Amino acid sequence: MSLPDRIDPPPPKRIYRWDLDKTYLRTEFDTLRQLVSTALQKAHEKVAVPGAAALIRELKQTGDVRLCIISGSPRQMRSVLEEKLRLDGVVWDELILKDNVRNLLRGRFKALRGQVGYKLPALLESRLASPVEAEEVLFGDDAEADAFVYSLYADLIAGRVDERVLRQVLEHAEVYPDDRDRILTTWKKIPPADPVRRIFIHLDRLTPPHYFSRYGPRVVPVFNYFQAALVLAGDGILTAPQAIRVAVEMAQTAGYNLLTLSNSFQDLIRRGLPLQKLTANLAQALEGPGALVTAVRPVPDIVRAFTKRIAALGTTPKPPPAVVIDYLQVIDDARPRTRRAQKPDRTKAGTPKGEGGR
Amino acid sequence: MSTPTPTPDRTVTIAFDVMGSDYGPAEVVAGAAQLSIEAPWIHALLVGDADQINDALAETRHNGERISVHHAAQFVAMTDKPAEALHRMPDASILTAARLVAQGEADGLVSAGNTGAGILAAARNFKLLPGIRRAALAAVYPTRATHGPKQDPFALILDVGATVEATADDLVAFAVMGAAYAKIISRNPEPQVALLSNGTEPQKGPPRVVEAHSRLRMMKGIKFIGNVEGVDIPKGTADVIVCDGFVGNVCLKMLEGVAETVVELAQYAYKESLRWRAGLAMLSSGIEKLKSVTDWNQYGGAPVLGFDHVFIKAHGRSRARAIANAGKVAAKAVSSDLSRAILQGLPT
Repeated sequence: MSLPDRIDPPPPKRIYRWDLDKTYLRTEFDTLRQLVSTALQKAHEKVAVPGAAALIRELKQTGDVRLCIISGSPRQMRSVLEEKLRLDGVVWDELILKDNVRNLLRGRFKALRGQVGYKLPALLESRLASPVEAEEVLFGDDAEADAFVYSLYADLIAGRVDERVLRQVLEHAEVYPDDRDRILTTWKKIPPADPVRRIFIHLDRLTPPHYFSRYGPRVVPVFNYFQAALVLAGDGILTAPQAIRVAVEMAQTAGYNLLTLSNSFQDLIRRGLPLQKLTANLAQALEGPGALVTAVRPVPDIVRAFTKRIAALGTTPKPPPAVVIDYLQVIDDARPRTRRAQKPDRTKAGTPKGEGGR
Repeated sequence: MSTPTPTPDRTVTIAFDVMGSDYGPAEVVAGAAQLSIEAPWIHALLVGDADQINDALAETRHNGERISVHHAAQFVAMTDKPAEALHRMPDASILTAARLVAQGEADGLVSAGNTGAGILAAARNFKLLPGIRRAALAAVYPTRATHGPKQDPFALILDVGATVEATADDLVAFAVMGAAYAKIISRNPEPQVALLSNGTEPQKGPPRVVEAHSRLRMMKGIKFIGNVEGVDIPKGTADVIVCDGFVGNVCLKMLEGVAETVVELAQYAYKESLRWRAGLAMLSSGIEKLKSVTDWNQYGGAPVLGFDHVFIKAHGRSRARAIANAGKVAAKAVSSDLSRAILQGLPT
């Protein structure tokens, strides 16, 4: 019996897709000065969002998984970004960056800031190369259009969005014709499946969580990655000890403490995520051999803080209702922030203009 | 009593009685939400109807890491009689919030609800500091003169209603408490303290005021400038004015009445004559500046002094900014250990 020439990795059972700026990295590019400063940063100067690296490392431990990073950063930053990921101990399988030089040379200025025309085809093409049964969990932020693009992607491959709606969205988002064709062609080739389990939106701009209720309970806005770890533990994707390890890294590297962590936990419960039963698993995990955790705080204190936060709420909040997303109603979210015709006031999460009467 | 400078060296949790203010839970929640973004060292514990709080919070920009909620099913309305209402509603939000502070779940309390109920809830759950016989409600008010090196446009008057009849001992304690508060919150290292009387001479006034005067004159660690008269209150002759609750309440209401009357007279003048209207229009930018300098929303609220825990009573009509500032004032009083400063100032 001869050995095969090469051993291919097993097909992934789950794919984690991450955005970089403001999702994985703490990036500021609202002004030209910040943009230049970000572009000139060296790998060791870049700062990851607390807990992001720990969460990715834990996710990679969960078996046959694939980490795909799709970022709007220009391709010229690849080596710096790769070095940063390596410094953080993050092992990725796919790193897609934006070809902004090509966009500039072709005079495609709308594509420089455009989200839909860049991310949607990239997501669809990556999906096309993935096994049909692979589940997906997506990570983005509230700075641009991640909730919209990710939800649209999920509903497109699940067959919940028809071509007419897609074409209208692409037109509204000012996607260039060749990118439109790419999107439509790739989409039609993807075997129908409903693989997207969760979409996490890191609240970099502290957008009120209710703003994202229009995307249904699949989209979970999070203030930090301990919250994402808790939800994933609730979903059975991570174990309780893994969620605790994310919290420990946040405590050790970013000053998170029992108060901020238990508040984060209660915040999810208040939003109706059914995580009450998770406290028992967390307690069990904490009471096991966990010298790292006891170094942070005595275990009974931690367990008490979490159970107290649940008891303080009196009754269990209702889970968020299921929503059929009407992409034409939320179409304004598809445009880059700076180009939104009527930018919704994200300091208040009320119904944006154009959505009245629903 | 300007908004205090941030003190980020220690995390402080402030319990907010979310219910019972004139504008309802949404405004208090908005204030706490604002605080969670502006002041990372302050955590807000929101006490009240959890459903209403959750709804308001979900719609408001905030940082969920710095906010927690504690459900309280009942609340005391502004029109309720305090003692009766608290007896009837043992789970009222103000009682629950005070209880949580006493239990160590929070370090200080802010309420924009019924003042009487707030003071009673504090009295039932907090302890008076050793050497303090009665608590005092202090009011912050704008004056003509500024106070201390920070040019604070506000002075402090206490008591304005918590202790209707104060003894000489109480008045001395009020002077110490007021001075300690002005030192910490206004950052006025040597606040000038005065007794309110019907004449500046030491022998003027009722016996308790005369006795308090003679004792304050002898006290070290307090800059007692003697008696002041009613006319000195708006002038800002002293940084801290001490009186009993009956007199203080009358003075405070009179100040509010005068302010309202001035506004009404200006409105009358505006309607009556084109010349007056033009004059007011010319003065408008100055009036606006004056309004912003003396805006009560800036100082957050009135401290209830004498307890072992900080309690800031915010105005019933407080909007989000005033609530956030009340939270900052409470956090500053906690982190600066106001109770210890008061204890150190008391005569042994």
